[in-house]
Amino acid sequence: MDTLKIADREFSSRLFIGTGKYASSAIMARAIAASGTQMVTVALRRVDIENENDNLLAAIDRTKYLLLPNTSGARDGAEAVRLARLARAASGIRWVKLEVTPDPYYLLPDGAETLKAAEILVNEGFVVLPYINADPILAKRLQDVGTATVMPLAAPIGSNQGLQTRASIEIIIEQATVPVVVDAGLGLPSHAAEAMEIGADAVLVNTAIAAAADPVAMATAFKFAVEAGRLARLAGGAPRQRAASASSPLTGFLRNDNR
Amino acid sequence: MHPTLRINGMEKQFPQDRLPKTLAELLAELKIDQATVVAEIDGHIIERKNFAAAALQPGQSIELVRFVGGG
Repeated sequence: MDTLKIADREFSSRLFIGTGKYASSAIMARAIAASGTQMVTVALRRVDIENENDNLLAAIDRTKYLLLPNTSGARDGAEAVRLARLARAASGIRWVKLEVTPDPYYLLPDGAETLKAAEILVNEGFVVLPYINADPILAKRLQDVGTATVMPLAAPIGSNQGLQTRASIEIIIEQATVPVVVDAGLGLPSHAAEAMEIGADAVLVNTAIAAAADPVAMATAFKFAVEAGRLARLAGGAPRQRAASASSPLTGFLRNDNR
Repeated sequence: MHPTLRINGMEKQFPQDRLPKTLAELLAELKIDQATVVAEIDGHIIERKNFAAAALQPGQSIELVRFVGGG
């Protein structure tokens, strides 16, 4: 498969994986391995000072997987910038998935605040991967301030509804000069394949794998779907038409009339 | 009056003269592995390599955060 370049890194896998909602770190680690991914997202939260805390990073081999800290929980741009700086201090890496979600019910991203925060973080040397609604104009404005990708949502986070925003994502893909990563809402491998077939550069999946009955098997299924979708995109789909177009010859039938 | 620190939004009281002197001492007292956390004191990020040098004063607000699973 062809490689994907984001900022200064090359990825042979076009599937990025979220680490939330897994039943255990052990299952998460196996699902990550099965997916073939090279980049996994993580979140930052307060330490529970009364109880013992799991060390998530112990389960993630950082020589194999690039950590992509997110700014989840940020309700405005300032909170997102603060989280991004903390994440950089914690991980030593300058990549960040920028997300600003003021409304907890649909978790839709705030485009204006995301743009403000993106500009600040790019100026501070961050590699910014912003999570956005499927808004082609916002995508352009973000790439203009120097984000490394744009990451339009397929459907609300964790909703598993599939590519509800397809028409707008197609416009973003047509116009973008940075990689387009479809993030959030992909519920099945077929959804991921569809995103890749219409020309997405990569997809980011969490809930669909973590909440599957067998996350390891589902991670494998997503791996193949993303590869299939990418190969189909590169192969170029045959044209779609309304009426039939016979696959077999229309001459030499075993009859004497010409009907 | 006993010295206090505000840790992750909660007031924590220390016995007289027993306030941890540095961030590293505080983490040791809370049994938190330094390698897994990042900290702010009064809104300023403290790099991990500076935990042992970061002096604490009564009344400071301290945030201790760590990576957790997320999408």
